[in-house]
Formats: sequence, structure tokens, C-alpha cells
Amino acid sequence: MSAVRCVDLCKTYRQGDQDIKALDHVDLEISDGGFVCLSAPSGGGKTTLLNAIGGLDKPDTGEVWIAEQRIDQMSKGELAALRLSQIGFVFQAYNLIPVLSARENIEFVMQVQGQPTALRRDKAMAILREVGLAGLEDRRPAEMSGGQQQRVAVARAIVSRPALVLADEPTANLDSTTSDGLMALFVDLNQNHNTTFVIATHDQRVMGYAKRLIRMLDGKIVDDIDQQAA
Amino acid sequence: MKVVQISFLLASRNLWRNYRRTIIMLVAISVGAWAMIFMTALMRGMVNEMLRDGIRSLPGLVQVHNSAYRDDPSINNLVSMTDIEIETTFAAAGIERYATRVRVPAIISSERESRGVTLLGVDPLRERSIEAVGSVIAEGRGLESIDDNGIVIGKKLAGKLDTEIGKRIVLMSQDPDNEVADRGFRVVGLFEANLAAQEEAFVFAGRTVVQKMLGIDGRVSEIALTGDDYRNVELLLADTRRLMDGRDEVLSWQELDTFLGTMLGVMDGFVLVWIVVIFLALSFGLVNTLVMAVFERVREIGLMLALGMRPSGIMLQIIFESLLLLMLGLSIGNALAYASVIPLKDGLDISVVAEGMEMFGAASVLYPEIQVNDVVLANVVVLTLGLIASLSPAWRASRYEPVKAITKV
Amino acid sequence: MAVNIISRLAWRNVWRHPRRTWLTIGAMVFSNALLVFMISIQFGMYGLMIDNTLKAFTGHMQVQAPGYKDDLKMRQVVPDAATLAEKLRSELKLDRISARSSAFALLSSEDRSYGVQVFGVDPQYEPGVSTIPGLVREGRFPTDNNAQEIVIGKTLARNLRVETGDELTLLGSGRDGSFAAAVAEIVGIFDSGVPDFDRSIAEIPLGFFGDVFFMDHAAHSIVIVAPALSAVEEYRPRVEELLSPADGLVVHDWNALQPGLKQAIQADISSAFFMYGILVILVAFSVMNTQLMSVLERTHEFGIVMSLGVTPGRLGRLVLLETGMIALAGLVLGALVGGLITLWFGYKGFSYPGMDQLAANFNLPSRFYPQVTVLTLFLGPVFVFAGSILSALYPALRLQWVHPVEAMRSLQ
Repeated sequence: MSAVRCVDLCKTYRQGDQDIKALDHVDLEISDGGFVCLSAPSGGGKTTLLNAIGGLDKPDTGEVWIAEQRIDQMSKGELAALRLSQIGFVFQAYNLIPVLSARENIEFVMQVQGQPTALRRDKAMAILREVGLAGLEDRRPAEMSGGQQQRVAVARAIVSRPALVLADEPTANLDSTTSDGLMALFVDLNQNHNTTFVIATHDQRVMGYAKRLIRMLDGKIVDDIDQQAA
Repeated sequence: MKVVQISFLLASRNLWRNYRRTIIMLVAISVGAWAMIFMTALMRGMVNEMLRDGIRSLPGLVQVHNSAYRDDPSINNLVSMTDIEIETTFAAAGIERYATRVRVPAIISSERESRGVTLLGVDPLRERSIEAVGSVIAEGRGLESIDDNGIVIGKKLAGKLDTEIGKRIVLMSQDPDNEVADRGFRVVGLFEANLAAQEEAFVFAGRTVVQKMLGIDGRVSEIALTGDDYRNVELLLADTRRLMDGRDEVLSWQELDTFLGTMLGVMDGFVLVWIVVIFLALSFGLVNTLVMAVFERVREIGLMLALGMRPSGIMLQIIFESLLLLMLGLSIGNALAYASVIPLKDGLDISVVAEGMEMFGAASVLYPEIQVNDVVLANVVVLTLGLIASLSPAWRASRYEPVKAITKV
Repeated sequence: MAVNIISRLAWRNVWRHPRRTWLTIGAMVFSNALLVFMISIQFGMYGLMIDNTLKAFTGHMQVQAPGYKDDLKMRQVVPDAATLAEKLRSELKLDRISARSSAFALLSSEDRSYGVQVFGVDPQYEPGVSTIPGLVREGRFPTDNNAQEIVIGKTLARNLRVETGDELTLLGSGRDGSFAAAVAEIVGIFDSGVPDFDRSIAEIPLGFFGDVFFMDHAAHSIVIVAPALSAVEEYRPRVEELLSPADGLVVHDWNALQPGLKQAIQADISSAFFMYGILVILVAFSVMNTQLMSVLERTHEFGIVMSLGVTPGRLGRLVLLETGMIALAGLVLGALVGGLITLWFGYKGFSYPGMDQLAANFNLPSRFYPQVTVLTLFLGPVFVFAGSILSALYPALRLQWVHPVEAMRSLQ
């Protein structure tokens, strides 16, 4: 079964008086339990592809399927429900809600899902320990370093054990030790929970963890390497 | 429900993010709410006092007259029942707070001066039961019985007539045959009233004495009935109509004094208009604050949408934030209004414009009255309209495209 | 040239957030339009109220014996009133001066009696100082100063069950306290529309009044109407000069004669201005909020220009200039909208439920036609303008404490 399937995706942006092809006839299938890195120079289309997979952005043409459900024609409400139940997100920046503490940020998704208070608190505290932020649960984002914030965002993305995690430059603000810790966590989830990961990144070290490496250029997939085989 | 909780939590935290803006808006709402309630309390105090004075001088909430009396208030148009019949009928119906009165136009003359007045032949005990004007005695004594020989006149009138307690005055009116009926009285008491005009208009004597003087033994001009609430006279009116059995005209105070009746309606209207006007003046600032709040939070709104919060959750946050702001401001405003009325408990002296207030039929001391229903009205109107005003910014916030919101710099 | 650049900068800043600017202007326009409309109605009503009340009966000034105004006693008289009135007319070159007396009397028809105030008026000159002679709807006003004739109000005629041609008996006390009685023929019935007048006033010729009430050429007041209300102050000393000191007479202006009138207006003005003040304050808060936001979000930008050597004072003036632009837009648009609304009601007439009842109490018509004047058009908006500028002082002054480096470090 495929976790993600993209069929002939196209997406064009207008910037000034120039048309930019962010996605140019992209076909992609990621199977369940995949661990995929997307790498591309800036403007190469990786964030756009990630957003299209996450249902945040609609492609101009083509189809997006998540867990055998076609999502590019879903309503906003259906998309919200889908993201809530099946996808975890880690964005490049502005990842956290400023008025909520670390723990509350992590609980946010669970709370919207309607999980009971005690349960989500336990889960949040556990995941905070896992990402090495025990003791910082009551800090607001402004009181944490960039790396700590990013770890809270990751914790939030994985706390409900979603089937699919989409991460956009998750290690951009982290030092190498923390990055390794984070990736170990991802690998662990991938192996033990069969969570599918799609990570857009520039970071060579991150690419090293990937089972499959996809390179994009000008909205096209130019390279698709199965690293397990290698 | 969890979404409601998290929306509420976010709203209450967001409220204090830009605390300066929140405080300015809070002060504005508080001032507005204070002004709504305080001004209404002052106006209510004035109008209620006016109504009470007016009702005391009518007197009563309901009156019975001969059906020709209102057009021709003369001695010839008397109530169809005799005073004894009235007494038995009303006693049988269990009505206690009423008074039977002879009411005729008359000339009062001292040795020096004459004035036109309304002569009232009253039963002093019954007068007190309906709280009629003339019951507050400033000097001398009040009337003691239905056949008291003395006369009680207003303090102001005594001054104009150059007379005083113990002196004699002459009253002149007409009997049913249009013969001059006159009689000397000794002034036994001077009464005080809130309105100078009342002190000059009415003189009171024992009812049987006046009936004898005018030759209308056992007959009266009017029956005045009162109750507890001047806003609710329908029951009393219906009861009295049933008792009088269609023989005489039974009217409520609103019909008897259309100026007073109108005043109450106009006042109720004014209160609502004033509340709405203040709200509208506030609403621009409120909407502005919300628009700014949404504008500043585009990214996090996008984030929340991206994480799977439904647009309704975003709307809820903005609406909660608006309602919280309004409720806080209203609470402060309400408290301020109640607090600012306390030092005025003994009345606000506006006697510098006493004669002007008398033109309105109002007294020269103002007792602010905070009416619970006005306060409820103000708060409900502000919250309801506030909710409506927040819908547009809230709707806009919920319509953001998550990806555009997140990537917006 | 510098001014030009600064104002251009201010203008652009104003429109950075069009929606916010329009909301702020909207608050001003709403308040201004309301103020223009309300003040136009109010001032128009005050004018009418004074005019209608004084025109009906009181006149602008009255010469009286001291104390008469408050006591209305028969013996407090102006001696030889007709002669004095004539002297005033010729010396002041004013026609609208007339002597008047008054007494309480019992008026009896064949089957009814009522106590009323009977006025002795000069048939020749009374029409100049009172509207009542002109409001005679049935019959006529007396012409002969000594005729045994009487004019009464409509309600009184109905209560007495009489019509023109009937006779009425007057009973009262004369100037010396003695019994006064006379019979007079009803020659006219007036309908003033003022319930008090129609119910309780009768007028008889002054000469006849003098005979009945033993006035001996005296009267109670000489009513004077100046060419305009504003001329009262000018005429009053001239009238005082013409009075003989021996008589000890006094001159009361309309304000002393009808103290309630000015006080009612004062009471109304103070409550209305309290409400207007609240509106101005609320608008001011709205402006303060907007301008504070606009200053706070530009902290970074201000930091840069300050590090370039622009003083905080200058930036403060820029903020005030921006506020001034917004406030000016609010003033112009508000006055325009308010003026148009007022003009429309000036054409259609303004009324609200219950107004006829209330208006009658103040001698006002039940439908009112407000007029726009420069005063009513700008009084309110100028206060809103001033309030807006004042409220922008806080955000403008805050700039004094901005430190350029910290400001630049703050998020854009």
C-alpha cells in the first residue's frame, strides 16, 4: 500500500511578472513505512511538493493521494480532519503558537482531536522527555532557543503517532548533536511504528538517514535513489 | 468541546499579548459602559421622580370620574355612586388603597390677595394610603379627620397670600346651581411638595366640610386608587372597571396625564438609543482592534489551520477574544457606574436650574436610580452587537489559506 | 520643500493599513454626523423655545414694582402706567411697548364658575407684545380701552359653556383688598395651543380692568419687546434711565421673568454635552489605539531613521501630522454627512414618537425643522478633532523613550 501517491502534479506561481514552475509534472509514490528525503536548491519545489502532499496547497493539475484517499479535491474541513488524524507537520519556521507553553503546543493537536486531558498531558510529558526537553514544559516559545523550539515542533508532529510525518528543514536551527538525536527519534519511529517520513532538507547528515533520496530541480524530479539498496 | 476550550485558552492569552492596545480598548469600553449606565441612572432618577411626583399629584395610578368630568371638571359632574356605596363596594372587593375626593376649582382669598386653586375635600387617612401630595406637613398640623374644620395649604401659596397658620382665609366656588358657595377656613397646616407648582395649586379640607359647603352631601368628584408598580396598572384598571360596572370613566395615569405617560415611553426609548449610540462609537475601535489582532497573527492562524484546526475554531478564538474584552470592560464599567452612584445617594442638587427642571415637571434634587433591567439591557445589547461586530474579522481570519499565511513574511 | 516631503511621508503612512484608517475615520464620521445633527436640532429648538415663549406673552423686558415678579400681589403696581408706557414708546422709538395688569378672579357663566387669571391689556398696543390678540379664532379682540368686554381661551370657554356674545361675571379683590365685581361680554375666544393659556387666561381692556379692580391709573407691568432678543442688553439701561427714581421701579429682562426657560436650556445643554463628551472621548480612544499600533509596528523603521539622526521630536510631529490628516478627513466627512442628514430633516421635518406631547410643554411644534449653521456644523467636529490630536500625544510622546539600537533589533 502506498502512503503517498502523486500523479502528474503541476503548480505555477506568479512572482512579479514571471511565472515560476514550482511543480512540473511530478509523479511520485511513497510506500508505507518509507523514509524519504527531498533535496533541492532553494526554489526547487520541495516545499511546494510537501505542502501539496499535506493538503495545504492545491496543485494546478494532477492528483494527490494519501493512504489511498484522493485529497486534492477535498474540502477545507475534510483536509483539516485528515491532517489532524493522519499527518504530523514540522515547518521551516514559525512552528509554534507563541501564547502557548511547550507542553500546550504539543497538546494542541490532541486537544483539537478531542483527547481527554489526562491522557494528552501524559503523552505530552513523555514526548518532551523523548526529545530531551524534560523540565522545559512550561516555557513559552519566546523563552526557548531555536533548537528547543524546533524540538517542540517535532514532538508535536509525532506525539499522536501519525501515519505520515512531513518535515520541512527540521534540523535547520539545530547543532549536530541535537540533529542526530532528532534523526534517531525519526528512525526509531519509522522502524517501530512504521511511520512514513517525508523530509525536505539541505542537510547532508539528514539525507544520510534516508532510505530513499529524491532530488528536485526546477519543479522536476531529477534523481530518485533507493539508499537501502546501495 | 475541546476545541472550544483551546479556543478560549488562546483567546484569553492573546488578549494580553498587546497589553497596551487591550488596556486602551478596555478603558474605552469601561468609559462607554459607565456612561451608558450612569447617564441612564441619572435620567431614570429624574423621570422616575417626575412620574412619582406626577402620580402623587394626580393622585393615584387609576382614577374614577363621571364620564363628563374630564371635559368639564365641574361640580355638576360627580361620580355616580355615593361615598357610602363606594366604601361598601370597594371593601367587598378587598381594595384598600383608594381615596374618595371632592375636587373643584376655587378662589382662595386672604385679607390681601386672591388666587385660583383646586380645592380638595379629602379623607386624610385615605389620602395617606394613596400617598397623595399634601401629606407632607411642613408647619402646623395635617387634617385629622374627614370633618376637620381647618384647611391645609401649600407653603408657597401661604407666602403669596400673605397668610400664616391660625389666620382665616375664604374659599369661593360654585354649588351645583351655579350659586357662589363660600366658606371661611382657618389655616391649620402648611404642606410641602417637590414641585413649587403643587404647593400653589392645591388646598385641602375635610371632605364632609367641603361637601356641606358645596351642597353635595355624600357625593365626590373622583376616586383615586393606587398600587405598587406604576408600570403595571392593567390589573388595577380592570378590577376597578369591573367594580364601576361601566357607569363612570375609569382611566389609568397614562391616560389622565398624557405628558407623564409619554415621558415613560420616551425614556425607555432614550435608554435604548443611548446604549446603541455608545456601542456604535465603541464598535469602530473594537473592530479595529480585532482586525489588527488578526493581521498580526496571520502566521500562527495559518499554522493552526495547517495542523488541522478547522476554520470554525479560528473564528471561535477571535469571537472569544472580542467577548472577553467586552465582558471585562463591561464589568469594570458596571462597577464604576455603581460606585459613582454611591456618593450621590443623597441626591444630586441641581437647584441652580430648579425652575428649568420644573418646566420638565422635575424636582431640583436628582436621585440617580440604577434599574436592573437597564443594566441588563446595556450589557446584553453590547455583548450581542459586539458579537455581531466581531463576526467579520473572525470570518476573515478563518478564511486564510494556511500555506499563504505560513509563508507570509 | 522639507515640509512637503514630511507631509507626503505622513500621507503614505496613513494609508499603510487602509482598513484600519477607514475604521478610525468611520468612528469620527459617525460621531461627527451625530453631533452635527443633534446640535442643530438642539440649538434650533432652544431658539424656538425662547422665541415662542416670550412672543406669546412675556416680551423681552418688563417694568414692574420690586417684588411683583415673585409675589404677584395686587398692590405692587407701576403708577400712572399709561403715561409711562407712552413716554417709553416715544423716547425709545419702539412701538411694541404695552401696559398690563393682572388679577385672580372667579369667572362665572350661567352655569359654571372658574378661578382664572384676568389680564388688563391695552387694546391698541397689546398685539405688539403678545400673540394672544392675534390668536382670537372666534369674534374679535377688544378695541375700546374702556369697553366692558372680555376675551377668553378656548378650553375655558368650553368649561364655562359659553360662546361669544354671552356674559361673564367677574368676582375678585381689588388693589385695596376690597370686593371687586363686574359683568363683561365675551367678544372673542382665542386658541393659543398652549394648554395653560387656553384653560386659565382671560383678557379685558386695561381701562375696564382699572375700574373693576380700583387700580387708579396704575398697572402691574409694562411689557417691552426689543427689536431683537440680542438687543435687550442695549435697551435695558435706556429703559432704566427713563424711569423716575421716585417710583422705585425695576426692569426685568426675559431671563428674570422666565427663569425656567434659560435653566431648562442649561439643564438640557449640560446633560447633552455630557453625552457628547462621552462620544468625543470614545473616538479619542479609538484614535489613540490606532496611532499607538501604527507607532509600535514601525519601531524598527523608527530605529533606523533615528540612527540616521532624525530626532524623536520630529518623529513625534510626524505621528501628530498623520493623526491630523486622519482627523481632518473625519471632520470634513463627518460635517458633510451630518450636514446632509440635517438638511434632509430640515426639509422633511424631524419628529419622534411622543414628541408632540413633550414639545407642547415647551411651546414647541410637534415637528421640527433643524437648520444647519456654521456653529452647529463645526462645534461638535472641532471637539472630536481636538480630542483626536490630544489622544495621539501619548503614542507621539512614547517615541521619546525609543532607543534606536533596541528599536532596530525589534522584529519588523
